[in-house]
Amino acid sequence: MDTFLQACINGLMIGGFYSLMGMGQNVIFGVMKIINFCHGEMLMVGMYLAYVFYTYLGIDPYVALPLVALVMFIAGAIFQHTLITPSLGTKSFTNLLFLTVGMGILLTNGAQVLFSSDYRTITTSYSSIILSLGPITVALPRVVSFCVLIAVSIALAFFLKYTRTGKKIRAVSQNPIGAQVVGIDTKKIYMITYGLGAALAGVSGALLTLFYVINPTAGSNFGFRALIVVVVGGLGSISGAFFAGIFLGLLETLVSLFIGPSLRTLVVFATFIVILVIRQNIILRRA
Amino acid sequence: MLEVKNLNAGYGHLQIIRDVNFSVNDGEVIAILGSNGAGKTTTVRAITGMLKPMSGSVNFNGQELCGKSSRAILDAGIIQVPEGRQLFTEMTVYENLELGAFSDAAREKLDESLKFCYKYFPKLEERTSQSAGTLSGGEQQMVAVARALIGLPKLLILDEPSLGLAPNIVDEILTVAHDMAKNNGISVILVEQDVNKALKTADMGYVIENGHVVLSGTSAELQNNEHVKRAYLGI
Ligand SMILES: Nc1ncnc2c1ncn2[C@@H]1O[C@H](COP(=O)(O)OP(=O)(O)OP(=O)(O)O)[C@@H](O)[C@H]1O
Ligand SMILES: [Mg+2]
Repeated sequence: MDTFLQACINGLMIGGFYSLMGMGQNVIFGVMKIINFCHGEMLMVGMYLAYVFYTYLGIDPYVALPLVALVMFIAGAIFQHTLITPSLGTKSFTNLLFLTVGMGILLTNGAQVLFSSDYRTITTSYSSIILSLGPITVALPRVVSFCVLIAVSIALAFFLKYTRTGKKIRAVSQNPIGAQVVGIDTKKIYMITYGLGAALAGVSGALLTLFYVINPTAGSNFGFRALIVVVVGGLGSISGAFFAGIFLGLLETLVSLFIGPSLRTLVVFATFIVILVIRQNIILRRA
Repeated sequence: MLEVKNLNAGYGHLQIIRDVNFSVNDGEVIAILGSNGAGKTTTVRAITGMLKPMSGSVNFNGQELCGKSSRAILDAGIIQVPEGRQLFTEMTVYENLELGAFSDAAREKLDESLKFCYKYFPKLEERTSQSAGTLSGGEQQMVAVARALIGLPKLLILDEPSLGLAPNIVDEILTVAHDMAKNNGISVILVEQDVNKALKTADMGYVIENGHVVLSGTSAELQNNEHVKRAYLGI
């Protein structure tokens, strides 16, 4: 029972990351109708940004969060405006595919050149503090990171629901023609949306650094899972992505516990395929 | 107020409308008539900047708008209720209307504009927090018209507001359009296939066939025109 509870807590903590990654991916998909294949690599960049801020400037990763978000937002917005936006609407789907896949490869190799493939970690004074509640123990940074993740998720939902820019983002994703009719600058919304997705991925990466190894390929796992989260939670659904992320985190740790860690990824992908097939059947039956 | 001269537009290399000419005066409702595929919506898109015209002139109160961005044309005061309404179906009625206020001026007057719209479409006031996609077709058309009015248009373009609606709802919407022109200083372009209803509302009419204006005149003239009677009124 204790190990079960412990696994649930661990699953919840990791699931928060999948949620936020999936939410970012989902906002991007909703607005641009593209899959961002470098989402995981953007998380990895966020890790290295936090690493650089900490190692060279002595800024605590939590304090550096707004900086990481800002840098990622600007970089994402520029990438969108200069490369992705001009390729949208040209009928070439492959252009877009190569753009984001290529950017992912570029980021990974760039990190390799700058930081080598060595595993790096950030150890702060509070890294080793363990909180315990009865038999369950959790490292303090995990708890703090999880709380920040939840806060950011809620802030994102509020942003989309209540702010003018958030409403414009939803308008463009629901009806781009309608958005043009009411004078929304779609290109600007594209920049903001992609920047937002990049910032969310970067923040996820920075939050991971306190208990996860940093290396150039650390993002790919999260990138894949963000895709699963989007598909399971429903394309375009922010709350769906949130719950799907938590579900995926729980599923992974429980499979590790009951079936074995080596089968974890296999079971996750098998579940993903099963859900896809079920969905497909439901959609086909409705049509 | 609006003078369209020799407007040419199409999609890619395919030209759809050829040398379209018409004009709208202050306080006037004009009807653009024509059957399916005649090029009415293409004309609207070219005027509103949704589609870049190939050539021609769109003069609005002395300002040349041909080739300008759709946003610049909105800012000049030409607002459309597009074909198919193009609402944000998963957003509430209120959010849809709010998004219609694209300029600072429109945002400042939002509350006043909302009251103005609810006066014409009382049903909308009861449904502000309902998502637009769950409304009936007629109610959705009302939201689309209200969304355009909230942007404070000087010229309102309605592209086939009657499509798929019950006759009494169509009448309601056309009455509002007429009232906008006559009592609120908003000129109206009414694009319609329902020639009978359109000519009852409009002062002037232009008939488009194969992308070209083949006939124009006052509503009374067109109602008595043999070609219009035969081809569009079924008399
Ligand atoms: N996006 C497009 N790409 C290519 N051709 C188009 C496009 N939109 C319309 N057309 C073509 O342009 C012609 C005129 O279409 P348009 O929509 O202007 O007609 P309409 O008069 O508004 O008709 P309706 O009453 O059915 O709305 C049609 O032959 C149509 O096939
Ligand atoms: Mg049309």
